[in-house]
Amino acid sequence: MKKLVLVGLVLLLYVSVVVPFTAYMQNKPFVEKLGYVPSAATLRTTSLDQQYLVSSTLIMKVLFYYGSLFEAQKNHIDIPPNYDGMVDVIETAVKLDPYNMDGYYFAQAILTWDNRRIERANALLEYGMKYRDWDFYLPFFAGFNAAYFLKDYPTAAKYYQRAADLTGYALFSKLAGRYMYEAGKTELAIVYLKTMLASTHDETIRQSFQLRLAALEETRRAEVARDLFIAEQGRHPKSLAELEQTGTLDFPLVDPYGGKFFLDETGQVRTTSKFSFAGAKKSRQ
Amino acid sequence: MWQVFRANLKGIFRDRVFLGILVAATIFPLIPSVSSLSMRQVTELSITLSFSLLTFILLLLAIFLGGTSLWKDIERRYTFSIAGLPLTRGQYLLGKFAAIAVFLLLVSLVLGLLLLMTVYVTSILHPPIRPVVWGNLVLAVLFHCLKYILLVSFTFLFSTVSTSFFLPIFGTIAVFFVGTASQQVFDFLQSPSGQKLPVLLQQIATGLYYIVPNFTAFDLNVNAIYALDVPLNGIGLTLLYFIVYLVIILSCASFLFARRELN
Repeated sequence: MKKLVLVGLVLLLYVSVVVPFTAYMQNKPFVEKLGYVPSAATLRTTSLDQQYLVSSTLIMKVLFYYGSLFEAQKNHIDIPPNYDGMVDVIETAVKLDPYNMDGYYFAQAILTWDNRRIERANALLEYGMKYRDWDFYLPFFAGFNAAYFLKDYPTAAKYYQRAADLTGYALFSKLAGRYMYEAGKTELAIVYLKTMLASTHDETIRQSFQLRLAALEETRRAEVARDLFIAEQGRHPKSLAELEQTGTLDFPLVDPYGGKFFLDETGQVRTTSKFSFAGAKKSRQ
Repeated sequence: MWQVFRANLKGIFRDRVFLGILVAATIFPLIPSVSSLSMRQVTELSITLSFSLLTFILLLLAIFLGGTSLWKDIERRYTFSIAGLPLTRGQYLLGKFAAIAVFLLLVSLVLGLLLLMTVYVTSILHPPIRPVVWGNLVLAVLFHCLKYILLVSFTFLFSTVSTSFFLPIFGTIAVFFVGTASQQVFDFLQSPSGQKLPVLLQQIATGLYYIVPNFTAFDLNVNAIYALDVPLNGIGLTLLYFIVYLVIILSCASFLFARRELN
């Protein structure tokens, strides 16, 4: 009986410690969760013959961190992401394993839309292209970044041509040519996101892309309606409400981030969320 | 020598080392589900994880099996009785070494098969962009095995001069560290930053590079994971390097063991 009580006490003690301990670990600041990562040269030496494992582990670490951040944002908890920390870790990881596609893919996902560090993203993609010389995704990403964010069409065309050479896909040849000038930014982004979505397994990244894609498709719907209105009426619409009133826009626009679509002074379709939950929250305040 | 080899191989099995490895190998079936956490390279991650598990098991075996085998015989004074047997100390040492080397080969074969099955399952569930080159996987397993056999030879070399198990175990761990990093140090010495180092230091480091083993050459993981071409001349040279280096280390070990005073 005494033994039983003793075992019960030890178990109780363990539970009373492990519950706050788990909560403490869960609520640790994100920077602490990411932790300090030594330089790639140091890691390469100390990881012995496990450098590919170390590289994959680092990327997983960042991915889990990003996942928890995304969940927090969806629940309207505003935690500033440590993008620099994440990218530093990713850069270290791809130096350990320069073929690791997860690293490039993730860096592309977080460095562009959310962080607007386009040059840094493209430098990383350029580095990856030296190794993954069979992979069309890297020049495809770099081409999109150059066209969509930097508006550097000659550079974008160079990357898309490389993607076209690797795959023989007509789409990339089109993007490398005049298509980029003719198509709007929104359409270009939709093509890009659909390609990204088709090839991702990760649920967090998938959800993030799906949200952005839904927002872009709504933007595109508004743009098409606006252009139709201009063609029919010979003037710019005053607002998106006018498009709805005239029946050009068949049903109301919905921003999945919680913002409201509007036409800016130049007639461009915008949303108050700026494609982020934080932006939508800010606009409501 | 044949009898020493047989007795030792039987002894390893009798100690249930193989059973322990099979228990550790139960992690293999978990690898496909862990690999699915990858965004874009599930099969590649499964190969990475499988090789990590395989090399980790081989490393532990090489250090602990090799590091304790000869030392244990000396410590328990079993070696004292070999004086009456019709074999030289060198043959005795080589017989023991061969038993561990063959055991490592057998373990590599079993773990290699499990690795292939794991990768096959993952590649069916998540077809990779580049098809898996199965020959590269087999070669990578084989060369990892050779690397650890070479490491075992160091445990024997240290055991011949050691009076405790510290040198065979920790000396071999140190050799493994140095042997894995030697190529990186050499590459650094050839770089512009390395050229700025004092000349004497450069010469010492270069000299050491030729003395310590180069384990990087045995690492074909990148070729196996990303289906990259394996340079055939490199494979041939590495095999030759393995044979020559092994002969040198075992000769040194036999020489030292023959002159060791066994009480």
